[in-house]
Amino acid sequence: MTAVIEARGLTKSYGSAKAVDRVSFAIQPGRIVGLIGPNGAGKTTLFKAVLGLTQFDGELRVLGRDPRSERNELMEDVCFIADVAVLPRWLRVSQALDFVEGVHPRFDRSRATNFLGKTDIKMSSRVRELSKGMITQLHLALILAIDARLLVLDEPTLGLDLLFRRQFYDTLLNDYFDKQRTIVLTTHQVEEIENLLTDVIFINRGHVVLDSAVDSLPERYVQLTVTAEHAAQARQLKPFYEREVFGRVAMFFEGRTAAELSTVANGLGEMRTPTVADLFVAKMSGGGS
Amino acid sequence: MSTPETNLSSADTTPAAAPPMSSAARQSLLTTMIVLIRRELWEHRALWITPLIVGGLLVLTAFPIHIGNVFGAHHEDFARADNRLGMFTLLLWGQSVPQYLVMVIVLSFYLMDCLYQERKDRSILFWKSLPVSDANTVISKLLVAVVVVPLGVYLTAMVSGVLFQAIWAARTASGSLPKIAVGWDTVAWLKVQGLMLYGLLVSMLWYAPMAAFLLLVSAWARRNVFLWATLPPVIAIIIERAAFGTRYTQHLLEYRSWSGIWNVLLTDPITPESGHGRVVSLADLFDNTSMSRAFLNIDLWLGLAVAAVLLFAAIRIRRYRDDT
Repeated sequence: MTAVIEARGLTKSYGSAKAVDRVSFAIQPGRIVGLIGPNGAGKTTLFKAVLGLTQFDGELRVLGRDPRSERNELMEDVCFIADVAVLPRWLRVSQALDFVEGVHPRFDRSRATNFLGKTDIKMSSRVRELSKGMITQLHLALILAIDARLLVLDEPTLGLDLLFRRQFYDTLLNDYFDKQRTIVLTTHQVEEIENLLTDVIFINRGHVVLDSAVDSLPERYVQLTVTAEHAAQARQLKPFYEREVFGRVAMFFEGRTAAELSTVANGLGEMRTPTVADLFVAKMSGGGS
Repeated sequence: MSTPETNLSSADTTPAAAPPMSSAARQSLLTTMIVLIRRELWEHRALWITPLIVGGLLVLTAFPIHIGNVFGAHHEDFARADNRLGMFTLLLWGQSVPQYLVMVIVLSFYLMDCLYQERKDRSILFWKSLPVSDANTVISKLLVAVVVVPLGVYLTAMVSGVLFQAIWAARTASGSLPKIAVGWDTVAWLKVQGLMLYGLLVSMLWYAPMAAFLLLVSAWARRNVFLWATLPPVIAIIIERAAFGTRYTQHLLEYRSWSGIWNVLLTDPITPESGHGRVVSLADLFDNTSMSRAFLNIDLWLGLAVAAVLLFAAIRIRRYRDDT
């Protein structure tokens, strides 16, 4: 199967600083990929490269196209939400529908109006009259009505309250996502979305530090939580990161499974697969390979 | 405000009265252009509201204004029978001048704003998420400024001119204006409209490089678009005078701004038999202008070539800059 996004040696420099440094990865169709990294890690740069919004060195194919030279064709199959602030404030809801319908060959207006009908958004409202949550709903309504193959979301729920965030992802999963589509997203609220991700890519200082299907994380990472008295003994097993939680110590191991670790660490403490959020903190602070 | 959760639970699930998907038919360039132009008129409402207001106000001036206000102290001299046609055409023309002047101001600000504001409020990221090329977007903005709005103002001026004449005709009939001063002449009216349309078409082409320059600054400037649009020419003039003691830049700008257009428009020197107190009829001017020759003017085409280069640069900048 051909990858939806394939990057090889992708590099983007701003002066002497490298925002993205020889990054390679492949994203397969039908996946929901979380691109996770601290601020300034290079996520937005990577997105801009994928969307043809910036120049870069190296190789990058999106849906088989080069986003630098085939951007216009590409945008028929790609949707993106940069963040909640980008809908122009003067735009009326009805005008947004008219415009997208006018320029997008894959826009199904009835889908958008159906979705908007379930919200408090009025057709005659201008974006500046809507709350942040409603603006996101409007943007989501436009996206849902476009039959695209790749959806790129950069902090789509920034500044929204929990209800809107939850509703946003529920809608995305129930009304939009299917096996023909691919979603790539970044967010700071990793805990909230880790259950819907099929893949995670961690990026730090312009480098990919982890690229894995969520399903295969248990084969590579295990978290051992021990009481303080067993800490020294557990440390002998060389965790790549540890942190203290409520008087106990959580240790993170890479490159071994729980079954394998239990042969040497039996009885020391509880073992489980770390959550994506915990693993992220561990990888960013502790490193590992 | 109710929460989104309650909104969803009370959702009606009306089945989509789905119109056939438009995806089959690829949007033609013309359709896209119309949508893009409509978008500009949504965002920049001053583009069509201002001409309507100015046109309306000019119609209203037909009530208080007296022939003496227009032609000064010598209006008695002008109010002669052989000047009737000249007065008629001159009023039509004079009445349109304020509308075009206001249009130039509105359009200048529009052009400086249209590629800058979308970067400032980051809405460019929304526009760029849709399959519209940067070329089409930038060209649509140029078309709005160079074709759509000028033609709109032309029509507004035409209508307001007719209404103005109707009001003056009524005032003449009621005796508050001298009978001899006004009078409708359909042939002369058509000739004035033709002359003004000709002037408009030539002006569109002549000022296209100016418009493209403002677009380029709008696409390029990080801030202070107005200063970037106005200061460099002034500084260039000053530097040239200081360094070389010459005024080529100044003369070029004057030529492109106002003096040059008359050379292009009036292909033959005007030699009306204008004696004292004689008002030249613009209908005569229409008859005596060989309009096709204006379109053979080399400076007109040089300007268009420059406009194309500037437009291309504006498109490239919008396509490749990534500081939003």
